[in-house]
Amino acid sequence: MIGLTPDRITEELESFRERLAHGTQTLAQAGEIEAGVSPRDPVYQEDKLVLYRYRPRVAEPHPVPLLIVYALVNRPYMMDLQEDRSMIRGLLDAGLDVYLIDWGYPDADDRALTLTDYIQRYIGHCVDHLRDRQRVDAIHLLGVCQGGALSLCFTALHPEKIRNLVTMVTPVDFHTPDNLLTHLIRHVDVDLLVDTFGNPPGQLLNFAFLSLSPFRLAGQKYVEVMDILDDARALKNFLRMEKWIFDSPDQAGEAFRQFAKDFFQRNKLVKGEVVIGDRRVDLRDVTMPVLNVYASQDHLVPPASSRALAACCGSPDYSELSFRGGHIGIYVSGRAQREIPPAIAAWLLAR
Amino acid sequence: MAETSDTSTPGSFDVELLLKQARTFLAFGEEIRQCSEQLQETAQGSTDGGSALRQHFERFRSAVTAAAGDPGVNPELAQLWTLILDAWQRTIESMGASAVTPPADWSSAAWQAYQRTQGQYLSLLQRTASEALDLMEQRLGENAASGKSIDSLRELYNLWVDCNEVTYGRMLRSAEYSELSGRLLNAFLRCYVPGEVSS
Repeated sequence: MIGLTPDRITEELESFRERLAHGTQTLAQAGEIEAGVSPRDPVYQEDKLVLYRYRPRVAEPHPVPLLIVYALVNRPYMMDLQEDRSMIRGLLDAGLDVYLIDWGYPDADDRALTLTDYIQRYIGHCVDHLRDRQRVDAIHLLGVCQGGALSLCFTALHPEKIRNLVTMVTPVDFHTPDNLLTHLIRHVDVDLLVDTFGNPPGQLLNFAFLSLSPFRLAGQKYVEVMDILDDARALKNFLRMEKWIFDSPDQAGEAFRQFAKDFFQRNKLVKGEVVIGDRRVDLRDVTMPVLNVYASQDHLVPPASSRALAACCGSPDYSELSFRGGHIGIYVSGRAQREIPPAIAAWLLAR
Repeated sequence: MAETSDTSTPGSFDVELLLKQARTFLAFGEEIRQCSEQLQETAQGSTDGGSALRQHFERFRSAVTAAAGDPGVNPELAQLWTLILDAWQRTIESMGASAVTPPADWSSAAWQAYQRTQGQYLSLLQRTASEALDLMEQRLGENAASGKSIDSLRELYNLWVDCNEVTYGRMLRSAEYSELSGRLLNAFLRCYVPGEVSS
């Protein structure tokens, strides 16, 4: 309107149409989009879980292994997305021996899996495997997002097996006023959801994430991509991120039921009321050094939710690292690559 | 042998998502172009640019509102504000449920309850979209008053997105939305036939 003439608009629309016509051809020729760049070897498998070891990038990696526990709701290759955006590569470059749990894709056979299975059995077996393999009493654990909450539970139940704990964008207090995911799930009949689907579909979770900012995430983003359609590298990066966003596994029903009700709706983690198997999770039992990494502009896990850990964990050596960015930027932004892995590695190697 | 790439294959990029939004942008641009033409004609015979701007923003508002009331009138333009509902319908279709037609064996009471709730959800979105148009008009007025110029269609589109995110975000954080979106999902689940999940 202001400053916009009909001729200028017509010109802009024509240019957009041309780019659209050309761009759809470019997209069709984009080929297979791969994600995950660092060489890795499977070292342990159980059901659909695969434990990977990333090939060290230094001659003598640190003797204590670092196990990364990612969330169940997305795929873990976000940690190793592409050459210049890989949190894992940064940790390897810093001399750490890095392992990661890939949970796989739950199907109908997994609907009865509980949080006890995920925490005591799966994480527990991976931790024990690494302790045996490396002949150490305790390993480093890095829990990411929901994987951080699972890691906190495991660590509280088995503090002797974890030498240092790093939590990254991890929700602890699920009832901070700005917690939008809790806000969305507050009135959902979780039992009905799980009983209906068995395994809640990944698409439903995707919708929940999208609904937090639909005009940007479902609209503007696709208009903006028209600007990079002739830049093969930028386009591949965009498509790689799209692949990750829509690559949402279904959730094992019983584990989802407990996580949604006990963590989101009832906020039991911070209250010390979560029960895994027959044991209550008390975060005061998290007594080893803890580094809590959060993103100051995180719209999914608000900083206050993560920082609640300070008041309820039992560690005398508790530190926080604030990253100026959002929930996704903390994995993939250029600044994150420069700031986060070196900081985590330095903190770990000093302990 | 070492692996590198993730072997998951969630399907290729859905070009239709991009095309749909591209068409929406073009419809938005076309509407703005018509407004701009009329504004130019009016402005030539008037010294009150602010009044002309308001008048022609009303034209834009009417076009969007008409498309919202009956998406058949201009489906591309209707997409401007039905993004979230469209995403919801794509989601439930991807889970094996029809967004518009009740299968014969769905409980009619449950189906009607779902339709009713979806109608309420739509009304809430409509209200928010209308507030976004008010906000956009206000910001355009502020720009005009301060002499700040919007020189491209994309800039105007981005302003429209910003305004919608502001009013939508306000709605999203309300207790009303929390209750209604939960009720929408619960109502959907009550008329969903187990076994129709496509994944």
